[in-house]
Amino acid sequence: MTSPHTVEHTVLTVLSQILATTADDLRANPVLANYEWDSYSSLEALAQLESDLGIRFDLRAFNAASTVDDVIALAA
Amino acid sequence: MNILDTVREAVRDGRVPDAATRAVLGQVTDPAVLRQAGRTLAGLALDAPGLRPVSVAVLATCTIGPYEQMLRATLIAAGMMPDIRPGRYKMFELSLGSAEYGETDMVSCLLDESYFLPPQWSPVDIEALGEYVTQRMVQFRSILDSALERSSTTILLHTLPLPGTVRDAVISWRDRARLSRIWHQLNADLLALVDHSPKIAVFDLVSALGERAVVARDDRLHRYGDLPFSDGALAIIADQTRRFAQARVGLSRKVLALDLDNTLWGGVVGEVGAQGLQLGGLYPGNCYRQLQNTVTMLREQGVVLVLASKNDAELVERTLAEHPEVVLRPEAFSARMVNWQPKAANLAAAAASLGLAVGSFVFMDDSPFERGQVAAELPDIAILSAEGDPAHHVRTLVQHGWFDVLDLTETDKKRPELYRTKARRADFSASFGSPVDYLRALGIELLPAEATQFTVARIAQLASRTNQFNLTGVRYDEATTAQWSASPDHLVASFSVRDRFGDEGVVGAVWVDCGPEVWAVTNLVLSCRVLGRDVEIAVAAWLVAKAHTAGASTVEGRFIPSGRNGVAADFWTRAGFARTDIDGILRLDAASTVPSPDWISVSERSEVNS
Repeated sequence: MTSPHTVEHTVLTVLSQILATTADDLRANPVLANYEWDSYSSLEALAQLESDLGIRFDLRAFNAASTVDDVIALAA
Repeated sequence: MNILDTVREAVRDGRVPDAATRAVLGQVTDPAVLRQAGRTLAGLALDAPGLRPVSVAVLATCTIGPYEQMLRATLIAAGMMPDIRPGRYKMFELSLGSAEYGETDMVSCLLDESYFLPPQWSPVDIEALGEYVTQRMVQFRSILDSALERSSTTILLHTLPLPGTVRDAVISWRDRARLSRIWHQLNADLLALVDHSPKIAVFDLVSALGERAVVARDDRLHRYGDLPFSDGALAIIADQTRRFAQARVGLSRKVLALDLDNTLWGGVVGEVGAQGLQLGGLYPGNCYRQLQNTVTMLREQGVVLVLASKNDAELVERTLAEHPEVVLRPEAFSARMVNWQPKAANLAAAAASLGLAVGSFVFMDDSPFERGQVAAELPDIAILSAEGDPAHHVRTLVQHGWFDVLDLTETDKKRPELYRTKARRADFSASFGSPVDYLRALGIELLPAEATQFTVARIAQLASRTNQFNLTGVRYDEATTAQWSASPDHLVASFSVRDRFGDEGVVGAVWVDCGPEVWAVTNLVLSCRVLGRDVEIAVAAWLVAKAHTAGASTVEGRFIPSGRNGVAADFWTRAGFARTDIDGILRLDAASTVPSPDWISVSERSEVNS
């Protein structure tokens, strides 16, 4: 089972790559709307996280996520 | 460092990833890695040096999604720098019919079933559905005609899977069969477009998806983002598009260079003889026979064949000509490089004699050493592994599409014969320099050890099985070997070799009659697996030093030709030994230093003989 620390690290790594920012910035400012979080980037994040973590998201819940912490909670 | 880190580092430094990195990327099938690599590679300038430019318009009946990134990664891996121009969303027909992409190298179309199916249809009137699909195909063909009138760009299409969500909504078995027939007819009509215009190409996505057992669709992404293809399916589409683009821009390979032993047949012909080879009949011989059949098919389509084998040329010639199961006879090869020289040098010489760049070569070999040596010396050669189960060899050879051409010409069909004539004039007898840098990078270690009860059986086995590097042909059995190893007047030693590719284990042995003055080597054998690295010279250096330490003044070597051991004929003279009046006997002062190659380190093993 993936540990919570690994999940957080993976989510921050994937989101920082897709949103062209850093993990530190995402921690300091976790609201996704502050970045280029659109339908394309969110789907890319979904595919990448599912691949890296071996999980399947409910797309409705994933779309409702508005912060990095929401995404981490969904992936955990 | 993983492939993504390597790609990121290159892009960060403003460099195109090197050939080795691109070769690794070309093997990636994980769509998540491809899309990340593609996103990173978008940072490269379009005029990046060293890659062949290709412009690709992408028009889709749906969202293009991550296809652009995957396509970029796949094309760059294959040596192209793509300028990808995505079409406008929901404007497929207008963009295609007006050829708004202008003159690009190709148009890659992403089609989905919604384009050919009505928004709603009745499952109790399958005939009406068939008429609708037929009409849509007629309309599509007229849009294509309009595009072809306005632009000379080639349009790449694909067949379409019929989603289970559509098929299984029809509950009557008879009607479901009719629906599938309609769909197969649609796909047949799409494939038939290649005869409608030479500027249309079609690949069979349906069979590619089935072959790789890839789930074609993620229903969530389809419904949410109008993405009818899963990432896995998009990776397949990108790969097929890469094959087409490769042929389109002239990056297809023309030459297939093949190893023989354990590649085109099972076994080492110099060891087991022609009659002992695995070829034809049941498994695994049938795998090698099938590989030869497939190679023959490639040759018929214009692929030039080169033989690259470390073997005695005469034995190979005879086996190719006379073995009843051989499909590839000597004349099938435009050049035959059968000798004991390094393969990279042989392939470079073959390229020069054929007048072709090494970048047009694909090289297939079972040995990681040979593949590594060629990759290090000639990075532009595409390398295929024939290691492991030979059942996979045919797929390994054909699945990448290295030799794809857009259309076969009469010249293509005659090419192997043209090149064979050309190569006949070339002189392959020239000797080639050692790729010393490569050998140094290997970190080869020679581990000599006096025979122990644990190694006697392996040493005797080497004596019985080694034919090529076998100096005198004397095959000491296990009992004699054990007896000599315990005798103070004899020496039996084994030689192990390891390098960065791994440990080869015990690959050689020597039997010595140790007189007070003269150490006489009665036989020395070495597996052909390690030839070409000068391991034998390091063995001689170790042996002479050991004789000197023991107080002997002379080391005496013998060579008795057997008809198969030509590779070892000059071993003693290469090690500095001088001929004597007696035929086949050579001598060296034990105080001499044999110049051991500096790329081999020697560490003597002392094992407990309990």
